[in-house]
Amino acid sequence: MAPTNEAEHKAFAKTQLSIQHLTHRYGDDEVLSDINLDVTEGEFITFLGPSGCGKTTTLRAIAGFITPTEGRVLLDGDDITDLPAHKRPVNMVFQQSTLFPHLDVGQNVAFGLEVAKVPKAEREKRVREALSLVKLEGFERRRATQLSGGQRQRVNLARAIVNRPKVLLLDEPLSALDLKIRLDLEVELRRVHRELGATFIYVTHDQREALALSDRIAVFNQGRIEQLDKAEVLYREPNSQFAASFVGDANVFAIDIASIGDATVTTTDGLELPLITDQAAVGPHWLVVRPEDVRFDTDTAGVEATVMDAAFRGASVTYRAECSALGASIKAEIPDEIPGTTIGRQVQVSWSGQRARLLPRQV
Amino acid sequence: MQYQTRRSIPTLLTTIGALAFLFVPLFIVILFSFHATDALTPPFEGVSLRWYREVLADDAVRDGLFTSLRVAVLTAVTTLIFGTAAAYGVSRTAGRAGAAYATLFLLPIAMPGLILGVALLSFFSNRSISLSTLTVVIAHTVFVAPVFFIVARTALDRIDEAQLEAAADLGATPGYRFRKVILPQVLPVLLAGAAMAFVISFDEFIVTFFVIGNESTLPLVIFSRLRRTIDPSINAISSLLLFLNLALWLAALLYSLRLEARRRRDALAQVQG
Ligand SMILES: Nc1ncnc2c1ncn2[C@@H]1O[C@H](COP(=O)(O)OP(=O)(O)OP(=O)(O)O)[C@@H](O)[C@H]1O
Ligand SMILES: [Mg+2]
Repeated sequence: MAPTNEAEHKAFAKTQLSIQHLTHRYGDDEVLSDINLDVTEGEFITFLGPSGCGKTTTLRAIAGFITPTEGRVLLDGDDITDLPAHKRPVNMVFQQSTLFPHLDVGQNVAFGLEVAKVPKAEREKRVREALSLVKLEGFERRRATQLSGGQRQRVNLARAIVNRPKVLLLDEPLSALDLKIRLDLEVELRRVHRELGATFIYVTHDQREALALSDRIAVFNQGRIEQLDKAEVLYREPNSQFAASFVGDANVFAIDIASIGDATVTTTDGLELPLITDQAAVGPHWLVVRPEDVRFDTDTAGVEATVMDAAFRGASVTYRAECSALGASIKAEIPDEIPGTTIGRQVQVSWSGQRARLLPRQV
Repeated sequence: MQYQTRRSIPTLLTTIGALAFLFVPLFIVILFSFHATDALTPPFEGVSLRWYREVLADDAVRDGLFTSLRVAVLTAVTTLIFGTAAAYGVSRTAGRAGAAYATLFLLPIAMPGLILGVALLSFFSNRSISLSTLTVVIAHTVFVAPVFFIVARTALDRIDEAQLEAAADLGATPGYRFRKVILPQVLPVLLAGAAMAFVISFDEFIVTFFVIGNESTLPLVIFSRLRRTIDPSINAISSLLLFLNLALWLAALLYSLRLEARRRRDALAQVQG
C-alpha cells in the first residue's frame, strides 16, 4: 500500500487510547517494562505473546484493576491512570467466564445497563440486540450453568458489548473452546467489531487468531512490545528473531555472511543462499524464510537436504527436511505433493530470494 | 475407603448403652410432662395436659419466654449485621493482615462462658452501664459472633474475586457489588447463621446469669423454679423448648439440604456443559 495513504489515515483518525511508559512490578518482579501504545478509534489491536509475558497485566491496567508502578493510561486525552475500574468507559471479557451464577442470561447481560439506570424498556431491547449479535436469541431465561462453554463465552461477550463501551478488552475469550467454535466465533467477533465500531483490544497467544482478526498486532515478549505492526507487515517483515518465529511458521537459520552477491549471499561455510535485500551486510545474521516460500526440487540447484517427514494438511503438504549444511531442519509448505519426494530422498532446497528476510544476530 | 468396625456383641452393647444414656432421660422428661399427678418418677399414673396448662398460664414463664425471644431476636439481628461486616472485611483483606483479623474475631470461641460472663460484668459495672436485656444482647452477640463469623466466611470465600472485578468493570460501585452480587449469593447462609445465633442465645444460661438486670430469660425462670418446687411443670417447659428447638433445626436442615441439592445440580450441569 502507498505510504501516503497510511500517513493520511493517521492524520484523520483520532488516537483514543494511549498507553505511555507503562511499567509494572510485583515486588521485585518487573512484569511490564515501558509499554507504549497508541490505539486509534475503531481499531482492532491484538496483543500476541507467550504465556506470562504480561498481556493480561496490560489489559488490567487499562481496565483499572491495577495501578501501574509507572506510566500513564490516557483515554480520549484524559488521564485515567488513577480512575477506579467502575468509572472507566471500558469493558472487559475475562480470560475465564465470570457470569454471575445467581442471575439468568438476560439478567447477566442487563447488569451494566441496570447499573447505569437505563430504563426497563430500552434495557430489554438492548439485551435482545446484544444476544442476537452473539447468536443467542431467546436464551434470556437460561441459567449460566445451563449453557455450553461456547455459549457461556458468548454471553460474556454480550454482557460487555451491551454497554457500548468505547474500548472493549478481550482476554483470550476463545482459548477454552474447540477449533470449530473458535473459527465460528472469530467470524462473529469480526462482524461485531464492524457493527459496533468500537475499539477492540484482543489478547491471544495464538498467532493464527491474531493474523486472522487484527488491524495491528503488538507482539509481547517478557513484558515488552517487540513489534507493533499490521499483520502483513509483521509476517513479511518481522524485525526480531522472536517476532519472526512467534508470528506464523518460520525457518530461522543462524548464518554468517562472508560476501554479498546479486541475488544471493555467500556464507563463511561457502554456501550460496538466495536473498534479495538492500540491508545485507557481512557478519552474523538470522535468515528467516517462511515455509510456503520454500521449494523442493530434485534437479535444479539449491541447498542439499534429506526429506525426513511429510504431513498431509488438506490444502497443502508440509515437508520437513534435514539440512546438514545449514545445521538445521527446514520446513516447507507446498500446495501439492511433489512426485518422487519420498522420505529419505535427497532434495535441493531453495526459496524466493525476495521473500527471505535478514535480521541482525548478536554473537 | 471407609473404616469399618467389626460387628461384635460388645460393640453392639456399648452402642445401645450410649444411645440409651443420651435418649432415655429426654424420653422420661417428655413422658412425665404429660403426667396426671405431680410425681416425677415412675410409676406413671395417667395422661393429662394440666402441666402445660399451668405453665402457659404462669406469668413468670410467659415473661421469661418473651424476654428470651426478644433477646434472641436482637442477638440474631446484631450478629447478622456485625458478623457479616466482619467476615466481609476479612475475606477482602489479603495476606497476613486478613489472617490476623480472622484470628482476632475467632478468639472468643476459646473463652469459657464463665470467664466471658465475669469479664463483661466487670466491664459493664466499670463503665456504670446498668444491667438490662440490652447488656444480655451485647453479651450474647460477643458469645455467638465467632460461630456466625465462621459460617459467613465460608460462604463469602466461595465467591470468586473475578466476579467482583467483572461487576466493577460493568460500572458497579463497591456498595452495588455487595448488594447485587455478593448478598444474593450468601444470604441463605447468613440467615441460617442468624438462626443459629437465635437458638444459641435462646437457651444460653451462664453468660446471661452474670449480665442480666431485673428481668429473667426463660432459662433463668426455669432455674429459679427448680429451686422452689420440682413438679412436672418443669418437664412441660423443657419439652416445649425441645419441640421448638427441634422444629427450628429441622427447618434449617431441610433448607440447607435443598440448597445443597440445587448446588449439586448446578455443578453437574456445569460439568456436562
Ligand atoms: N498478582 C500477581 N502477583 C505477582 N505476579 C503476578 C501477578 N499477576 C501476574 N503476575 C506475573 O506477571 C507476569 C505476567 O502475567 P500475565 O497474567 O500478564 O501474563 P499473560 O501474558 O496474560 O499470560 P497468559 O497467556 O498465560 O494469560 C507473569 O509472570 C505472572 O506470573
Ligand atoms: Mg493472560
